[in-house]
Amino acid sequence: MVIVEPVCQRGRDPVVSRPAYLTLGEQFTAALSALLGWGPVRAAQSRLKEWGLTGRVAVTAVPYLWLLVFFLAPFLIVLKISFSSVEIAMPPFAPLVQWASDKVMLVRLNLGNFMFLWEDSLYLSALLNSLKMAAVSTMLALLIGYPMAYGIARSERHWRNILLMLVMLPFWTSFLLRVYAWIGLLGRNSPVNQLLVWLGLIDEPGSLLQTDWAVYIGIVYSYLPFMVLPLYTAIEKLDMTLLEAASDLGCRPTRAFLSITLPLTREGIVAGCMLVFIPATGEFVIPSLLGGPDSLMIGRVLWEEFFNNRDWPVASAVAIVLLLLLVGPIMLFQRAQQAAGGVHR
Amino acid sequence: MSALRPQEKLKPWTDPAAVPYVRIERVTKRFGDFVAVNQVSLDIYKGEAFCLLGPSGCGKTTLLRMLAGFEQPTEGRLFIDGQDMTAIPPYERPVNMMFQSYALFPHMTVVENVGFGLRQDGIPKAEREARVAEILQLVRLTGFDQRKPHQLSGGQRQRVALARSLVKRPKLLLLDEPLGALDKKLREHTQFELINIQETLGVTFVIVTHDQEEAMTLASRIGVMNQGEILQTGTPTDIYEYPTSKYVADFIGSVNMFEGRLVEDEPAHVRIESAELGGTVYVDHGVSSAPDATVWVAVRPEKVRIDRERPDQLDNVFAGTVKEIAYLGDVSRYLVALDSGKLVRVTQPNTDRRDDRVTWEERVWLSWSPSANVVVTQ
Ligand SMILES: Nc1ncnc2c1ncn2[C@@H]1O[C@H](COP(=O)(O)OP(=O)(O)OP(=O)(O)O)[C@@H](O)[C@H]1O
Ligand SMILES: [Mg+2]
Repeated sequence: MVIVEPVCQRGRDPVVSRPAYLTLGEQFTAALSALLGWGPVRAAQSRLKEWGLTGRVAVTAVPYLWLLVFFLAPFLIVLKISFSSVEIAMPPFAPLVQWASDKVMLVRLNLGNFMFLWEDSLYLSALLNSLKMAAVSTMLALLIGYPMAYGIARSERHWRNILLMLVMLPFWTSFLLRVYAWIGLLGRNSPVNQLLVWLGLIDEPGSLLQTDWAVYIGIVYSYLPFMVLPLYTAIEKLDMTLLEAASDLGCRPTRAFLSITLPLTREGIVAGCMLVFIPATGEFVIPSLLGGPDSLMIGRVLWEEFFNNRDWPVASAVAIVLLLLLVGPIMLFQRAQQAAGGVHR
Repeated sequence: MSALRPQEKLKPWTDPAAVPYVRIERVTKRFGDFVAVNQVSLDIYKGEAFCLLGPSGCGKTTLLRMLAGFEQPTEGRLFIDGQDMTAIPPYERPVNMMFQSYALFPHMTVVENVGFGLRQDGIPKAEREARVAEILQLVRLTGFDQRKPHQLSGGQRQRVALARSLVKRPKLLLLDEPLGALDKKLREHTQFELINIQETLGVTFVIVTHDQEEAMTLASRIGVMNQGEILQTGTPTDIYEYPTSKYVADFIGSVNMFEGRLVEDEPAHVRIESAELGGTVYVDHGVSSAPDATVWVAVRPEKVRIDRERPDQLDNVFAGTVKEIAYLGDVSRYLVALDSGKLVRVTQPNTDRRDDRVTWEERVWLSWSPSANVVVTQ
């Protein structure tokens, strides 16, 4: 017998409420094993095995297995933790499944972690702030990345590879090191500040460090290649004679850009924006190192919940909510893209 | 020659006072070391349909692209309507071009593609729609309005491209292989419509084509290009009947070419001795060439007569053996080997139904009139 017991425990408080039990009878377990042993199901399984030998299935199965092992399994583990409650133990959470007796399996689903996220305004404001910072950084990266990608795609062929190499060059050193380097560049006595003072643009050296601006600079700098590469691919694919045709029909360059280039590179724009926006939302290294105490971002909160508070269930709940909030809209967006994008080719 | 065009057209190029609408002045275009267009000079007059004819890669598209403003000449200058085009960007030129690759906007429907140019000019919606509908009817694409280019066949795409370049009624229309993908019937219909448009709107056309029949049908004049140079310009009749070089004679239609040497050089006639013919050819006009220089005599296959009996004319009669016969219905084509081994192509109309035509391996006499000869020196 399986008993699913939804409980509501917040933080380290004792369990306060015990709502009704949801019971799945013994019949369920019996029915399941009967179904698996049923002849037609067995036959279907062996047929599947036969098909499994074909190359196509094997080829598609590999990435699916990969996703299963490295995405779905960790996700399920995190999901599991998010429904448990904190305990001072190793690992620091209560097991979800307990055997009340030999025959009774008790599943305690603690919904309190999620309630807690909703009730403590810290999480919501951190999330909103993250979305805002990610959105602003994505826009900045797009504004900087588009001209870069355009320039590369339209340069002489033998220059293109060199320029692309330069875009990717920063990946050759550690991400962490590069973010640390920005601490030096943005600090009060940094060359940047001194240059600005010397140019007369600012009166006295201020510190950009520990402001949102530092975080923007850090994110845009770190994620720019992820913006530039898909944009480059899209722009490079664009047929230049289309722009000539537009120009021939009396269209000035600016309008041609808006009505031909931009729509036809939309896929690259979307891909680049997603590649920047998604990781930027959950980013924690950059806000921790460059941001101030009030640069509250959800990744940082998650990190602190996990390592400083050792509240794995709440941290997991944050992770799950973040994932759902990002995956939902992205999937809808992709759908819409596919529906509209089919007409291009 | 031309089937659709009335012969009594004005011929502005014969009038020294006429001002050309398009003037190409010693234009050269180089891509690196490669010379795509070499020292081309050309005058095209208002209302003309000028056909550029030439083999693949000879620079026809490059010349059009310079007129449209996508390429700058390396040397030389271009004038349209008396205005130097050097500093004028494509979007300000009174020119529309139909691209060889069509260059349709893939994210726009047929109507949006065709209406694009009108939109740039700020034509109000109602008028725009009317003009687009009208031109789509002309190219027989009504009912395809809301399709995107990828939902059309090759020929339909070509017609959209044509419609898009026509709809703005430009003063100068550049058509790069406008009808290549159409079937014969649609092609003839569209040729007819093009001539109509040209005559009603007074558009000046420059048309690039591989198809000499099309050039003959559409053109007021033809320019034959090879390797970046214009070899000859003239009316279809000029080009066909009076080619000035071996290349042009050979490129337009089919031709028999005999190598020879001037043996009699008078102002009103010449006589050329040719080993390939095994005799001399009498030509009823003078030729400007150095005595003893090598020249070529070009004779079109349809101007050669084929007989069993020796015809009673003195000159230009040669004996041979029939090697191949192709019966094509309206005409028959023969390949006749002269005694020198030289093969001569002959085309004869099948004017009456006969069963006693010459046959394989028969000895026959070939003959042609002195005026059928064209003598070229290069
Ligand atoms: N951008 C370019 N760079 C280098 N070479 C070029 C360029 N554009 C054209 N060429 C060369 O110039 C020559 C003429 O090209 P063009 O496109 O004008 O030929 P075309 O007469 O239109 O041929 P087709 O009938 O096959 O269309 C070709 O040999 C081509 O390879
Ligand atoms: Mg071409």
